[in-house]
Amino acid sequence: MASSVFSKVDEYGFERPEDFDYETYEDFMSQYLVVLAKRAKKWHELIGEGKSLKRSLTVKRYVRKGIPGEHRGMVWMTVSGADIMREELGHDWYQRLLSGPKDQEIIDTVKMDLPRTYPDNIFFNAADDHQIRLCNILVAYAHDNKEVGYCQGLNYIAGLLLLVTKDDETTFWLLKVLVERVLPKYYTRTMDGVITDIAVLEELVRAKVPDVYRHVRNVGLPWAVITTKWFICLFAEVLPIETVLRVWDCLFYEGSKIIFRVCITLIKRNREQLLQCSDFSSLAECFKEITHDSLVMQCHDFMQSIFKTPGSLPASSISRLRTKLAQHKLDQQPR
Amino acid sequence: MANRGGAQRPNGGPGKICQFKLVLLGESAVGKSSLVLRFVKGQFHEYQESTIGAAFLTQTVCLEDTTVKFEIWDTAGQERYHSLAPMYYRGAQAAIVVYDITNQDTFGRAKTWVKELQRQASPNIVIALAGNKADLANKRVVEYDEAQAYAEENGLLFMETSAKTAMNVNEIFLAIAKKLPKNEQVSGAGSSGQTRRLVESEQQKAPGNCCK
Ligand SMILES: Nc1nc2c(ncn2[C@@H]2O[C@H](COP(=O)(O)OP(=O)(O)OP(=O)(O)O)[C@@H](O)[C@H]2O)c(=O)[nH]1
Ligand SMILES: [Mg+2]
Repeated sequence: MASSVFSKVDEYGFERPEDFDYETYEDFMSQYLVVLAKRAKKWHELIGEGKSLKRSLTVKRYVRKGIPGEHRGMVWMTVSGADIMREELGHDWYQRLLSGPKDQEIIDTVKMDLPRTYPDNIFFNAADDHQIRLCNILVAYAHDNKEVGYCQGLNYIAGLLLLVTKDDETTFWLLKVLVERVLPKYYTRTMDGVITDIAVLEELVRAKVPDVYRHVRNVGLPWAVITTKWFICLFAEVLPIETVLRVWDCLFYEGSKIIFRVCITLIKRNREQLLQCSDFSSLAECFKEITHDSLVMQCHDFMQSIFKTPGSLPASSISRLRTKLAQHKLDQQPR
Repeated sequence: MANRGGAQRPNGGPGKICQFKLVLLGESAVGKSSLVLRFVKGQFHEYQESTIGAAFLTQTVCLEDTTVKFEIWDTAGQERYHSLAPMYYRGAQAAIVVYDITNQDTFGRAKTWVKELQRQASPNIVIALAGNKADLANKRVVEYDEAQAYAEENGLLFMETSAKTAMNVNEIFLAIAKKLPKNEQVSGAGSSGQTRRLVESEQQKAPGNCCK
Protein backbone atom coordinates (compact mmCIF):
# COMPACT_ATOMS: atom_id res chain seq x y z
CA MET A 1 0.00 0.00 0.00
CA ALA A 2 1.25 3.48 -0.79
CA SER A 3 2.40 5.37 2.24
CA SER A 4 0.50 8.47 3.18
CA VAL A 5 1.66 11.90 4.20
CA PHE A 6 -0.91 11.59 6.94
CA SER A 7 0.10 9.69 10.03
CA LYS A 8 -1.85 6.89 11.61
CA VAL A 9 -2.93 9.25 14.38
CA ASP A 10 -4.89 12.39 13.60
CA GLU A 11 -4.29 15.82 15.09
CA TYR A 12 -6.64 15.12 18.00
CA GLY A 13 -4.89 11.91 18.91
CA PHE A 14 -7.35 9.46 17.34
CA GLU A 15 -5.90 6.43 15.65
CA ARG A 16 -7.24 6.22 12.16
CA PRO A 17 -9.24 3.07 11.52
CA GLU A 18 -7.66 0.14 9.69
CA ASP A 19 -9.77 0.73 6.63
CA PHE A 20 -9.20 4.48 6.57
CA ASP A 21 -9.40 5.76 3.03
CA TYR A 22 -6.16 7.75 2.82
CA GLU A 23 -6.53 8.41 -0.86
CA THR A 24 -9.87 10.16 -0.61
CA TYR A 25 -8.70 11.94 2.50
CA GLU A 26 -5.59 13.26 0.79
CA ASP A 27 -7.63 14.47 -2.14
CA PHE A 28 -9.98 16.21 0.19
CA MET A 29 -7.29 17.68 2.42
CA SER A 30 -5.33 19.13 -0.49
CA GLN A 31 -8.33 21.36 -1.11
CA TYR A 32 -9.44 21.77 2.45
CA LEU A 33 -6.04 23.04 3.61
CA VAL A 34 -6.48 25.97 1.24
CA VAL A 35 -9.88 26.68 2.73
CA LEU A 36 -8.46 26.40 6.24
CA ALA A 37 -5.66 28.84 5.47
CA LYS A 38 -8.13 31.34 4.10
CA ARG A 39 -10.47 30.97 7.05
CA ALA A 40 -7.58 31.29 9.49
CA LYS A 41 -6.64 34.59 7.96
CA LYS A 42 -10.22 35.88 8.07
CA TRP A 43 -10.66 34.86 11.68
CA HIS A 44 -7.34 36.36 12.58
CA GLU A 45 -8.53 39.66 11.21
CA LEU A 46 -11.86 39.42 12.98
CA ILE A 47 -10.41 38.56 16.34
CA GLY A 48 -7.23 40.58 15.93
CA GLU A 49 -9.15 43.79 15.37
CA GLY A 50 -10.81 43.13 18.68
CA LYS A 51 -14.12 43.20 16.88
CA SER A 52 -16.91 41.81 18.93
CA LEU A 53 -17.83 38.18 18.48
CA LYS A 54 -21.35 39.10 19.52
CA ARG A 55 -24.03 37.47 17.45
CA SER A 56 -24.22 39.06 14.04
CA LEU A 57 -24.74 37.91 10.49
CA THR A 58 -21.03 38.17 9.84
CA VAL A 59 -20.08 36.03 12.80
CA LYS A 60 -22.77 33.50 11.95
CA ARG A 61 -21.46 33.26 8.41
CA TYR A 62 -17.92 32.88 9.67
CA VAL A 63 -19.00 30.15 12.06
CA ARG A 64 -20.80 28.25 9.33
CA LYS A 65 -17.61 28.25 7.29
CA GLY A 66 -15.68 26.78 10.19
CA ILE A 67 -13.84 28.08 13.23
CA PRO A 68 -10.07 27.52 13.19
CA GLY A 69 -9.05 24.86 15.70
CA GLU A 70 -7.01 27.13 17.89
CA HIS A 71 -9.92 29.55 18.41
CA ARG A 72 -12.64 27.01 18.90
CA GLY A 73 -12.71 27.00 22.69
CA MET A 74 -12.86 30.76 22.93
CA VAL A 75 -15.39 31.24 20.14
CA TRP A 76 -17.65 28.44 21.40
CA MET A 77 -17.59 30.05 24.86
CA THR A 78 -18.65 33.40 23.42
CA VAL A 79 -21.26 32.49 20.84
CA SER A 80 -23.02 29.97 23.09
CA GLY A 81 -23.24 32.32 26.05
CA ALA A 82 -21.13 30.03 28.22
CA ASP A 83 -18.87 32.92 29.12
CA ILE A 84 -21.83 34.93 30.43
CA MET A 85 -22.87 31.92 32.48
CA ARG A 86 -19.38 31.86 33.97
CA GLU A 87 -19.55 35.60 34.63
CA GLU A 88 -22.83 35.21 36.48
CA LEU A 89 -21.90 32.17 38.56
CA GLY A 90 -18.38 33.31 39.33
CA HIS A 91 -14.96 32.45 38.04
CA ASP A 92 -14.23 30.14 40.95
CA TRP A 93 -17.35 28.05 40.31
CA TYR A 94 -15.51 25.10 38.81
CA GLN A 95 -12.78 25.13 41.44
CA ARG A 96 -15.38 25.24 44.20
CA LEU A 97 -17.14 22.22 42.73
CA LEU A 98 -13.86 20.36 42.55
CA SER A 99 -13.10 20.93 46.22
CA GLY A 100 -16.66 20.43 47.44
CA PRO A 101 -18.07 17.25 49.03
CA LYS A 102 -18.53 14.29 46.69
CA ASP A 103 -20.92 11.43 46.27
CA GLN A 104 -18.87 8.22 46.03
CA GLU A 105 -21.44 6.49 43.86
CA ILE A 106 -21.10 9.16 41.19
CA ILE A 107 -17.34 8.92 41.29
CA ASP A 108 -17.50 5.14 40.87
CA THR A 109 -19.87 5.37 37.93
CA VAL A 110 -17.72 7.93 36.16
CA LYS A 111 -14.54 5.98 36.86
CA MET A 112 -15.98 2.89 35.27
CA ASP A 113 -16.36 4.76 32.00
CA LEU A 114 -12.93 6.43 31.92
CA PRO A 115 -10.97 3.60 30.31
CA ARG A 116 -13.97 3.05 28.03
CA THR A 117 -13.86 6.57 26.62
CA TYR A 118 -11.98 6.90 23.33
CA PRO A 119 -9.72 3.91 24.09
CA ASP A 120 -8.16 4.44 20.64
CA ASN A 121 -7.09 7.98 21.41
CA ILE A 122 -3.50 8.37 22.50
CA PHE A 123 -4.34 11.09 25.04
CA PHE A 124 -6.97 8.91 26.67
CA ASN A 125 -4.78 5.93 27.33
CA ALA A 126 -4.00 5.35 30.95
CA ALA A 127 -0.49 6.78 30.75
CA ASP A 128 -1.63 10.25 29.78
CA ASP A 129 -3.49 12.67 32.04
CA HIS A 130 -6.74 12.99 30.09
CA GLN A 131 -8.60 10.26 31.97
CA ILE A 132 -8.04 12.05 35.28
CA ARG A 133 -8.96 15.42 33.84
CA LEU A 134 -12.11 14.00 32.27
CA CYS A 135 -12.98 12.39 35.60
CA ASN A 136 -12.72 15.76 37.37
CA ILE A 137 -14.88 17.48 34.79
CA LEU A 138 -17.62 14.84 34.76
CA VAL A 139 -17.71 14.47 38.54
CA ALA A 140 -17.81 18.24 39.00
CA TYR A 141 -20.64 18.55 36.52
CA ALA A 142 -22.61 15.69 38.05
CA HIS A 143 -22.51 17.53 41.38
CA ASP A 144 -23.29 20.87 39.79
CA ASN A 145 -26.40 19.54 38.06
CA LYS A 146 -28.01 16.93 40.28
CA GLU A 147 -30.95 16.52 37.93
CA VAL A 148 -28.60 15.22 35.25
CA GLY A 149 -25.83 13.70 37.33
CA TYR A 150 -23.71 11.52 35.09
CA CYS A 151 -25.24 10.27 31.87
CA GLN A 152 -23.30 7.93 29.61
CA GLY A 153 -22.57 9.80 26.43
CA LEU A 154 -21.40 12.91 28.28
CA ASN A 155 -18.03 11.19 28.56
CA TYR A 156 -17.65 11.31 24.78
CA ILE A 157 -18.80 14.93 24.55
CA ALA A 158 -16.64 16.21 27.39
CA GLY A 159 -13.77 14.08 26.17
CA LEU A 160 -13.86 15.67 22.74
CA LEU A 161 -14.29 19.16 24.18
CA LEU A 162 -11.18 18.54 26.22
CA LEU A 163 -9.20 17.36 23.22
CA VAL A 164 -10.18 20.50 21.32
CA THR A 165 -9.95 23.18 24.01
CA LYS A 166 -7.13 21.53 25.97
CA ASP A 167 -8.54 23.23 29.06
CA ASP A 168 -10.54 21.60 31.87
CA GLU A 169 -12.49 24.63 32.93
CA THR A 170 -13.48 25.63 29.40
CA THR A 171 -14.61 22.06 28.85
CA PHE A 172 -16.75 22.22 31.98
CA TRP A 173 -18.53 25.40 30.89
CA LEU A 174 -19.10 24.20 27.36
CA LEU A 175 -20.51 20.94 28.67
CA LYS A 176 -22.78 22.90 30.99
CA VAL A 177 -24.04 25.21 28.28
CA LEU A 178 -24.72 22.31 25.93
CA VAL A 179 -26.67 20.30 28.47
CA GLU A 180 -28.57 23.22 29.98
CA ARG A 181 -29.08 25.70 27.17
CA VAL A 182 -28.34 24.28 23.76
CA LEU A 183 -30.13 20.92 24.10
CA PRO A 184 -33.54 20.20 25.56
CA LYS A 185 -33.28 17.71 28.46
CA TYR A 186 -31.36 15.03 26.62
CA TYR A 187 -29.43 13.76 29.60
CA THR A 188 -31.94 13.77 32.45
CA ARG A 189 -32.92 10.54 34.23
CA THR A 190 -35.67 9.72 31.77
CA MET A 191 -34.00 11.21 28.71
CA ASP A 192 -37.29 12.74 27.63
CA GLY A 193 -35.62 15.26 25.34
CA VAL A 194 -33.94 12.58 23.27
CA ILE A 195 -37.07 10.51 22.96
CA THR A 196 -39.03 13.57 21.86
CA ASP A 197 -36.39 14.67 19.37
CA ILE A 198 -36.26 11.22 17.80
CA ALA A 199 -40.03 11.52 17.27
CA VAL A 200 -39.53 15.03 15.86
CA LEU A 201 -36.96 13.72 13.40
CA GLU A 202 -39.34 11.00 12.35
CA GLU A 203 -41.97 13.62 11.57
CA LEU A 204 -39.48 15.73 9.66
CA VAL A 205 -38.36 12.76 7.58
CA ARG A 206 -41.98 11.96 6.87
CA ALA A 207 -42.48 15.47 5.52
CA LYS A 208 -39.18 15.91 3.74
CA VAL A 209 -38.14 12.45 2.55
CA PRO A 210 -41.43 10.54 2.51
CA ASP A 211 -40.22 7.54 0.53
CA VAL A 212 -37.42 6.86 3.00
CA TYR A 213 -39.87 7.31 5.84
CA ARG A 214 -42.22 4.71 4.37
CA HIS A 215 -39.38 2.37 3.52
CA VAL A 216 -37.90 2.45 7.02
CA ARG A 217 -41.33 1.79 8.43
CA ASN A 218 -42.00 -1.11 6.11
CA VAL A 219 -38.71 -2.72 6.96
CA GLY A 220 -39.56 -2.27 10.62
CA LEU A 221 -36.45 -0.47 11.79
CA PRO A 222 -37.24 1.95 14.63
CA TRP A 223 -35.71 5.40 14.28
CA ALA A 224 -34.50 5.17 17.84
CA VAL A 225 -32.23 2.31 16.91
CA ILE A 226 -30.66 4.34 14.15
CA THR A 227 -30.39 7.74 15.73
CA THR A 228 -30.17 7.56 19.54
CA LYS A 229 -26.42 7.82 19.42
CA TRP A 230 -26.54 10.65 16.89
CA PHE A 231 -28.51 12.76 19.35
CA ILE A 232 -26.82 11.73 22.57
CA CYS A 233 -23.25 12.02 21.34
CA LEU A 234 -23.98 14.95 19.03
CA PHE A 235 -22.32 12.91 16.27
CA ALA A 236 -19.10 12.33 18.24
CA GLU A 237 -18.13 8.70 17.55
CA VAL A 238 -20.56 8.81 14.64
CA LEU A 239 -19.22 11.19 11.99
CA PRO A 240 -15.55 11.80 11.11
CA ILE A 241 -13.89 14.06 13.64
CA GLU A 242 -13.46 17.13 11.39
CA THR A 243 -17.09 16.93 10.44
CA VAL A 244 -18.21 16.63 14.07
CA LEU A 245 -16.30 19.77 15.01
CA ARG A 246 -17.74 21.71 12.09
CA VAL A 247 -21.21 20.60 13.21
CA TRP A 248 -20.43 21.70 16.76
CA ASP A 249 -19.32 25.13 15.50
CA CYS A 250 -22.86 25.68 14.25
CA LEU A 251 -24.47 23.90 17.17
CA PHE A 252 -22.92 26.31 19.68
CA TYR A 253 -24.02 29.28 17.63
CA GLU A 254 -27.37 28.23 16.21
CA GLY A 255 -28.65 25.68 18.67
CA SER A 256 -30.09 22.20 18.56
CA LYS A 257 -31.97 22.50 15.28
CA ILE A 258 -28.60 21.99 13.59
CA ILE A 259 -28.82 18.35 14.65
CA PHE A 260 -31.96 17.90 12.56
CA ARG A 261 -30.29 19.58 9.60
CA VAL A 262 -27.44 17.09 9.80
CA CYS A 263 -29.76 14.09 10.17
CA ILE A 264 -31.95 15.08 7.26
CA THR A 265 -28.99 15.88 5.04
CA LEU A 266 -27.55 12.44 5.75
CA ILE A 267 -30.83 10.77 4.91
CA LYS A 268 -31.65 12.85 1.88
CA ARG A 269 -28.24 12.66 0.27
CA ASN A 270 -28.21 8.88 0.65
CA ARG A 271 -31.83 8.39 -0.23
CA GLU A 272 -31.33 5.99 -3.11
CA GLN A 273 -28.85 3.87 -1.28
CA LEU A 274 -31.20 3.56 1.70
CA LEU A 275 -34.16 2.67 -0.49
CA GLN A 276 -32.18 -0.16 -2.04
CA CYS A 277 -31.73 -1.96 1.29
CA SER A 278 -34.65 -4.29 1.34
CA ASP A 279 -34.10 -6.04 4.63
CA PHE A 280 -33.59 -5.02 8.20
CA SER A 281 -29.91 -5.87 8.56
CA SER A 282 -28.74 -4.24 5.37
CA LEU A 283 -30.74 -1.11 6.13
CA ALA A 284 -29.29 -0.87 9.64
CA GLU A 285 -25.83 -1.39 8.16
CA CYS A 286 -26.43 1.26 5.52
CA PHE A 287 -27.37 3.81 8.16
CA LYS A 288 -23.98 3.13 9.73
CA GLU A 289 -22.11 3.41 6.45
CA ILE A 290 -23.56 6.76 5.49
CA THR A 291 -22.02 8.30 8.61
CA HIS A 292 -18.48 7.67 7.44
CA ASP A 293 -18.43 7.65 3.68
CA SER A 294 -16.61 10.19 1.56
CA LEU A 295 -19.62 12.52 1.49
CA VAL A 296 -19.30 13.23 5.19
CA MET A 297 -15.52 13.14 5.20
CA GLN A 298 -15.60 16.19 2.94
CA CYS A 299 -16.77 18.31 5.82
CA HIS A 300 -16.71 21.64 4.02
CA ASP A 301 -19.12 20.53 1.31
CA PHE A 302 -21.15 18.62 3.80
CA MET A 303 -21.58 21.66 6.02
CA GLN A 304 -22.66 23.74 3.07
CA SER A 305 -25.21 21.15 2.15
CA ILE A 306 -26.81 20.99 5.60
CA PHE A 307 -28.09 24.51 4.96
CA LYS A 308 -29.44 23.66 1.53
CA THR A 309 -30.41 20.01 1.29
CA PRO A 310 -33.07 19.87 4.04
CA GLY A 311 -34.84 23.01 2.82
CA SER A 312 -36.51 25.35 5.24
CA LEU A 313 -36.49 24.28 8.87
CA PRO A 314 -37.67 27.12 11.06
CA ALA A 315 -36.94 26.93 14.79
CA SER A 316 -40.57 27.72 15.47
CA SER A 317 -41.86 24.61 13.71
CA ILE A 318 -39.35 22.43 15.53
CA SER A 319 -40.44 23.77 18.86
CA ARG A 320 -44.07 23.29 17.90
CA LEU A 321 -43.36 19.67 16.97
CA ARG A 322 -41.46 19.16 20.22
CA THR A 323 -44.38 20.39 22.29
CA LYS A 324 -46.87 18.35 20.35
CA LEU A 325 -44.90 15.12 20.42
CA ALA A 326 -43.87 15.43 24.08
CA GLN A 327 -47.54 15.83 24.91
CA HIS A 328 -48.42 12.90 22.70
CA LYS A 329 -45.98 10.75 24.62
CA LEU A 330 -47.45 11.82 27.96
CA ASP A 331 -50.91 10.92 26.75
CA GLN A 332 -49.73 7.48 25.70
CA GLN A 333 -47.82 6.68 28.85
CA PRO A 334 -48.99 3.34 30.29
CA ARG A 335 -49.13 3.31 34.08
CA MET B 1 -12.51 -27.09 -0.04
CA ALA B 2 -12.68 -30.82 -0.12
CA ASN B 3 -15.90 -31.33 1.76
CA ARG B 4 -17.81 -28.65 -0.09
CA GLY B 5 -19.48 -31.24 -2.27
CA GLY B 6 -21.61 -32.46 0.56
CA ALA B 7 -23.22 -29.08 0.95
CA GLN B 8 -24.21 -28.86 -2.66
CA ARG B 9 -27.31 -30.89 -2.29
CA PRO B 10 -30.22 -29.16 -3.91
CA ASN B 11 -32.15 -26.66 -1.88
CA GLY B 12 -35.38 -27.64 -0.26
CA GLY B 13 -33.90 -30.63 1.57
CA PRO B 14 -33.90 -30.74 5.31
CA GLY B 15 -31.92 -27.49 5.57
CA LYS B 16 -33.85 -24.32 6.29
CA ILE B 17 -32.98 -20.88 7.46
CA CYS B 18 -34.54 -19.16 10.44
CA GLN B 19 -34.07 -15.63 11.54
CA PHE B 20 -34.48 -14.52 15.14
CA LYS B 21 -34.22 -11.26 16.96
CA LEU B 22 -32.11 -11.49 20.10
CA VAL B 23 -31.62 -8.68 22.60
CA LEU B 24 -28.91 -8.32 25.25
CA LEU B 25 -29.85 -6.65 28.51
CA GLY B 26 -28.05 -6.01 31.77
CA GLU B 27 -26.28 -3.39 33.85
CA SER B 28 -23.56 -1.24 32.32
CA ALA B 29 -20.11 -2.81 32.05
CA VAL B 30 -21.20 -6.39 32.70
CA GLY B 31 -19.88 -7.34 29.27
CA LYS B 32 -22.85 -7.37 26.87
CA SER B 33 -20.93 -5.79 24.00
CA SER B 34 -17.93 -7.96 24.75
CA LEU B 35 -20.02 -11.12 24.50
CA VAL B 36 -21.39 -9.98 21.16
CA LEU B 37 -17.94 -9.02 19.89
CA ARG B 38 -16.61 -12.40 20.90
CA PHE B 39 -19.51 -14.24 19.29
CA VAL B 40 -19.59 -12.24 16.07
CA LYS B 41 -15.93 -11.41 15.47
CA GLY B 42 -14.02 -13.66 17.84
CA GLN B 43 -12.38 -10.65 19.45
CA PHE B 44 -12.05 -9.17 22.92
CA HIS B 45 -11.13 -5.60 23.85
CA GLU B 46 -9.75 -4.88 27.29
CA TYR B 47 -11.32 -1.44 27.00
CA GLN B 48 -14.63 -1.86 25.28
CA GLU B 49 -16.39 1.43 24.60
CA SER B 50 -19.63 1.95 26.47
CA THR B 51 -22.63 1.45 24.23
CA ILE B 52 -24.85 4.45 23.60
CA GLY B 53 -28.41 3.64 22.64
CA ALA B 54 -28.01 0.29 20.96
CA ALA B 55 -25.79 -1.49 18.50
CA PHE B 56 -26.96 -3.95 15.89
CA LEU B 57 -25.11 -6.98 14.53
CA THR B 58 -25.89 -10.28 12.89
CA GLN B 59 -24.39 -13.72 13.20
CA THR B 60 -25.34 -17.14 11.97
CA VAL B 61 -25.32 -20.42 13.83
CA CYS B 62 -25.62 -23.82 12.23
CA LEU B 63 -27.64 -26.57 13.75
CA GLU B 64 -27.96 -30.00 12.21
CA ASP B 65 -30.64 -29.17 9.69
CA THR B 66 -31.20 -25.49 10.26
CA THR B 67 -29.29 -22.28 9.85
CA VAL B 68 -30.20 -19.81 12.55
CA LYS B 69 -29.49 -16.21 11.77
CA PHE B 70 -29.41 -13.99 14.83
CA GLU B 71 -30.26 -10.34 14.58
CA ILE B 72 -28.47 -9.15 17.70
CA TRP B 73 -29.44 -5.96 19.49
CA ASP B 74 -26.87 -4.91 22.04
CA THR B 75 -28.26 -2.26 24.38
CA ALA B 76 -26.87 0.41 26.69
CA GLY B 77 -26.80 -0.64 30.32
CA GLN B 78 -27.07 2.57 32.29
CA GLU B 79 -30.32 2.79 34.26
CA ARG B 80 -31.53 5.90 32.52
CA TYR B 81 -31.45 4.24 29.11
CA HIS B 82 -34.14 1.97 30.48
CA SER B 83 -36.90 4.04 28.96
CA LEU B 84 -35.56 3.13 25.50
CA ALA B 85 -35.35 -0.59 26.24
CA PRO B 86 -38.91 -1.64 25.30
CA MET B 87 -38.23 -0.33 21.83
CA TYR B 88 -35.39 -2.81 21.59
CA TYR B 89 -36.91 -5.91 23.13
CA ARG B 90 -40.26 -5.50 21.43
CA GLY B 91 -40.73 -8.48 19.13
CA ALA B 92 -37.54 -10.21 20.31
CA GLN B 93 -37.73 -13.99 20.30
CA ALA B 94 -34.70 -14.38 22.52
CA ALA B 95 -32.87 -12.43 25.20
CA ILE B 96 -29.60 -12.82 27.01
CA VAL B 97 -29.70 -11.13 30.39
CA VAL B 98 -26.14 -10.58 31.55
CA TYR B 99 -24.65 -9.97 34.98
CA ASP B 100 -21.09 -9.81 36.24
CA ILE B 101 -20.19 -12.60 38.70
CA THR B 102 -17.94 -10.16 40.57
CA ASN B 103 -20.72 -7.67 41.26
CA GLN B 104 -23.79 -8.53 43.32
CA ASP B 105 -25.81 -5.48 42.22
CA THR B 106 -25.63 -6.55 38.61
CA PHE B 107 -27.24 -9.87 39.53
CA GLY B 108 -30.10 -8.01 41.20
CA ARG B 109 -30.48 -5.90 38.11
CA ALA B 110 -30.52 -9.01 35.94
CA LYS B 111 -33.44 -10.36 37.95
CA THR B 112 -35.31 -7.12 37.38
CA TRP B 113 -34.75 -7.49 33.64
CA VAL B 114 -36.00 -11.06 33.69
CA LYS B 115 -39.17 -9.95 35.47
CA GLU B 116 -39.73 -7.14 33.01
CA LEU B 117 -39.25 -9.46 30.04
CA GLN B 118 -41.62 -12.02 31.49
CA ARG B 119 -44.23 -9.32 31.93
CA GLN B 120 -43.75 -7.19 28.84
CA ALA B 121 -41.92 -9.06 26.08
CA SER B 122 -43.34 -11.65 23.67
CA PRO B 123 -44.93 -14.41 25.74
CA ASN B 124 -42.78 -17.21 24.33
CA ILE B 125 -39.46 -15.39 24.48
CA VAL B 126 -36.47 -17.62 25.21
CA ILE B 127 -34.43 -16.06 27.98
CA ALA B 128 -30.86 -16.99 28.85
CA LEU B 129 -29.03 -15.78 31.92
CA ALA B 130 -25.28 -15.22 31.50
CA GLY B 131 -22.99 -14.86 34.51
CA ASN B 132 -20.14 -13.15 32.69
CA LYS B 133 -16.50 -12.51 33.65
CA ALA B 134 -16.21 -16.08 34.88
CA ASP B 135 -12.47 -15.79 34.35
CA LEU B 136 -12.32 -13.52 37.40
CA ALA B 137 -13.06 -16.45 39.72
CA ASN B 138 -11.02 -15.01 42.59
CA LYS B 139 -13.28 -11.96 42.68
CA ARG B 140 -16.49 -13.93 42.51
CA VAL B 141 -19.37 -12.78 44.70
CA VAL B 142 -22.36 -14.36 42.93
CA GLU B 143 -22.30 -18.12 43.53
CA TYR B 144 -22.93 -20.45 40.64
CA ASP B 145 -25.50 -22.46 42.56
CA GLU B 146 -27.49 -19.41 43.53
CA ALA B 147 -27.79 -18.23 39.94
CA GLN B 148 -28.44 -21.75 38.69
CA ALA B 149 -31.28 -22.20 41.19
CA TYR B 150 -32.77 -18.85 40.22
CA ALA B 151 -32.58 -19.72 36.53
CA GLU B 152 -34.25 -23.06 37.09
CA GLU B 153 -37.10 -21.52 39.06
CA ASN B 154 -37.74 -19.10 36.24
CA GLY B 155 -37.25 -21.44 33.32
CA LEU B 156 -34.16 -19.70 31.98
CA LEU B 157 -31.18 -21.14 30.21
CA PHE B 158 -28.12 -20.48 32.34
CA MET B 159 -24.38 -20.44 31.78
CA GLU B 160 -21.41 -18.72 33.27
CA THR B 161 -19.45 -17.12 30.45
CA SER B 162 -16.26 -15.25 29.78
CA ALA B 163 -16.02 -12.92 26.83
CA LYS B 164 -12.34 -12.67 27.65
CA THR B 165 -11.48 -16.38 27.39
CA ALA B 166 -14.43 -17.21 25.09
CA MET B 167 -15.71 -19.74 27.59
CA ASN B 168 -19.34 -20.69 26.88
CA VAL B 169 -19.88 -17.77 24.52
CA ASN B 170 -20.70 -19.74 21.38
CA GLU B 171 -22.35 -22.32 23.62
CA ILE B 172 -24.91 -19.94 25.05
CA PHE B 173 -25.96 -18.68 21.64
CA LEU B 174 -26.10 -22.25 20.40
CA ALA B 175 -28.24 -23.34 23.33
CA ILE B 176 -30.65 -20.52 22.54
CA ALA B 177 -30.70 -21.45 18.86
CA LYS B 178 -31.59 -25.02 19.81
CA LYS B 179 -34.37 -23.96 22.12
CA LEU B 180 -36.04 -21.60 19.66
CA PRO B 181 -38.99 -23.05 17.79
CA LYS B 182 -38.08 -23.43 14.12
CA ASN B 183 -41.39 -24.10 12.54
CA GLU B 184 -42.13 -22.83 9.09
CA GLN B 185 -39.93 -19.77 9.26
CA VAL B 186 -39.02 -19.58 5.63
CA SER B 187 -42.45 -20.11 4.27
CA GLY B 188 -43.42 -17.14 6.38
CA ALA B 189 -46.21 -18.86 8.25
CA GLY B 190 -45.55 -16.60 11.24
CA SER B 191 -47.26 -19.00 13.57
CA SER B 192 -48.11 -18.16 17.17
CA GLY B 193 -46.50 -14.74 17.15
CA GLN B 194 -43.18 -16.48 17.72
CA THR B 195 -41.67 -16.02 14.33
CA ARG B 196 -40.61 -12.67 13.09
CA ARG B 197 -42.27 -11.45 9.99
CA LEU B 198 -39.66 -11.87 7.33
CA VAL B 199 -39.44 -9.11 4.82
CA GLU B 200 -40.67 -10.35 1.50
CA SER B 201 -37.47 -10.05 -0.46
CA GLU B 202 -35.71 -11.89 2.31
CA GLN B 203 -38.10 -14.77 2.04
CA GLN B 204 -37.45 -15.04 -1.63
CA LYS B 205 -33.73 -15.16 -1.37
CA ALA B 206 -33.52 -17.24 1.78
CA PRO B 207 -31.33 -20.18 0.82
CA GLY B 208 -32.42 -23.63 1.74
CA ASN B 209 -29.07 -24.95 2.85
CA CYS B 210 -26.84 -24.38 5.81
CA CYS B 211 -23.75 -22.15 6.01
CA LYS B 212 -22.07 -21.34 2.76
N1 LIG C 1 -12.19 -10.10 32.85
C1 LIG C 1 -13.21 -9.93 32.02
N2 LIG C 1 -13.54 -8.68 31.62
C2 LIG C 1 -14.58 -8.54 30.78
C3 LIG C 1 -15.33 -9.64 30.32
N3 LIG C 1 -16.31 -9.17 29.51
C4 LIG C 1 -16.17 -7.83 29.46
N4 LIG C 1 -15.13 -7.44 30.22
C5 LIG C 1 -14.65 -6.07 30.42
O1 LIG C 1 -15.67 -5.33 31.07
C6 LIG C 1 -15.79 -4.02 30.53
C7 LIG C 1 -17.19 -3.75 30.08
O2 LIG C 1 -17.53 -4.57 29.01
P1 LIG C 1 -18.63 -4.16 27.94
O3 LIG C 1 -18.75 -5.30 27.01
O4 LIG C 1 -18.35 -2.83 27.38
O5 LIG C 1 -19.91 -4.04 28.88
P2 LIG C 1 -21.39 -3.64 28.44
O6 LIG C 1 -22.29 -4.53 29.24
O7 LIG C 1 -21.55 -3.68 26.98
O8 LIG C 1 -21.52 -2.15 28.99
P3 LIG C 1 -22.45 -0.94 28.45
O9 LIG C 1 -22.28 -0.83 26.99
O10 LIG C 1 -21.99 0.26 29.19
O11 LIG C 1 -23.87 -1.30 28.85
C8 LIG C 1 -14.79 -3.93 29.38
O12 LIG C 1 -13.67 -3.21 29.79
C9 LIG C 1 -14.45 -5.37 29.08
O13 LIG C 1 -13.13 -5.51 28.63
C10 LIG C 1 -14.96 -10.95 30.77
O14 LIG C 1 -15.55 -11.97 30.43
N5 LIG C 1 -13.89 -11.02 31.62
MG1 LIG D 1 -22.01 -2.23 25.63
